[in-house]
Amino acid sequence: MPETIKSIGFALGMCLVCGLLLTAAATGLQPMQEKNRLSDRQKNVLYTVDLASRDKAYTPEQIRDIYEKNIDEIRVSAAGEIAEPAEEGAGQDGQILTIYLYTKNAEIENYIIPIESQGLWGKIYGYMALENDGSTVAGFTVYEHSETPGLGGEIEKQWFQENFEGKKIVDRSGGFVAVQIAKGDVDKRVPEEKEPHYVDGISGATLTGRYLSEGLEKTLSRYEPVSLCFRKQRLSCRLQEPTDSGDK
Amino acid sequence: MKLTRTKAFKTFAGPAWYENPINMQMLGICSALAVTVQLKTAFVMTLAMTFVVSLSNLIISLLRNVIPGNIRIIVELAVIASLVILADEFLRAYYFEISKLLSVFVGLIITNCIILGRAEGFALSNPPHLAFIDGLGNGVGYGSVLMSVALIRELFGSGSIFGYTVVPERLYAAGYEDMGLMLLAPAAFIIIGLMAWLQKYLVNSRK
Repeated sequence: MPETIKSIGFALGMCLVCGLLLTAAATGLQPMQEKNRLSDRQKNVLYTVDLASRDKAYTPEQIRDIYEKNIDEIRVSAAGEIAEPAEEGAGQDGQILTIYLYTKNAEIENYIIPIESQGLWGKIYGYMALENDGSTVAGFTVYEHSETPGLGGEIEKQWFQENFEGKKIVDRSGGFVAVQIAKGDVDKRVPEEKEPHYVDGISGATLTGRYLSEGLEKTLSRYEPVSLCFRKQRLSCRLQEPTDSGDK
Repeated sequence: MKLTRTKAFKTFAGPAWYENPINMQMLGICSALAVTVQLKTAFVMTLAMTFVVSLSNLIISLLRNVIPGNIRIIVELAVIASLVILADEFLRAYYFEISKLLSVFVGLIITNCIILGRAEGFALSNPPHLAFIDGLGNGVGYGSVLMSVALIRELFGSGSIFGYTVVPERLYAAGYEDMGLMLLAPAAFIIIGLMAWLQKYLVNSRK
């Protein structure tokens, strides 16, 4: 009996020491990690519109400078109208959408939407940039996921993300179709008239592809009012003017 | 007494060369495949692994007389897991890019059989200073194989060393191409196989 009590006592002490140590490390390093994560997100926004290159290394300061110079963050209601600042607090309930605008020579070049999708093992987070015609994908990145490295984890790789460039989220008659991930190579698996809406899949990661396809469709359809606005009116789309940061 | 005859040296040289965890014992192969596409990741993995295995050996050796025998594996794992999480948190705070490249593999150091094997097989029955040196030796033995594999894979697979291009432009112009196989996991299998063969031959021919 005393043996058992000794074991339990030792285990408890062990837990306490390890727990305290890890809590201290996690809390102490958190501000640093948060900063890294923010910088990483900004960098991924820049990747989608080719303001930063994946082959180069940047310091967090460089990233912040490029980001602040070119990207404006705005919020719109589900109907696609600019949300009043007063409504910003309501951003969590899903009614308010965040979009990032890349403005070049006082014209909106791209709008970038945050992607949040179900994955096979956890959430997938990324960004998708669309051209100001409201239908062409300009870039796509994933900055956080829990997919299996080498299989579903390939979604974070350049070759996969570059496949999205130039794809269309609307068909020829103008109907919304989103972008899907094919099961295998697009030119073998997808009929020709649908090729603009599909990207090459990853072998060994069919489920990740399926979840991400669903997630993209869901997100894109939520942002459809915004896309519609760009599609109809291009640059005269209302999103352009009211932001106070527009005349910086 | 000559340095090479001391117990400390033997404790270090054993795992570093004669009983190399990867080439001679075939342990820790999984991570050796995963992180050796680039020297940078292999190097960080080496540091993280050496940190964990030497400190876990030290701590477990210090506690070896008080750890209750019936829960010793759990205690060893708790020590190892805590150290791994510390290393992971540190990388995430100071080397974010690399920690993203290594993704789950830092966390998977916990399951690296070398570490638990050394804790169970060496640290529990040896004094702290020897246990620590044994951990260092294993880290170096593991790391040297990792770095050699990564050197070959990065040089032939991407034409660079530590991210700096070393294959001259002229060679590419003359028709040289990077070897795509080197970037895939099977290449690591082949290289490790050849290295294990070479090392076993060298070790055995000395006897």
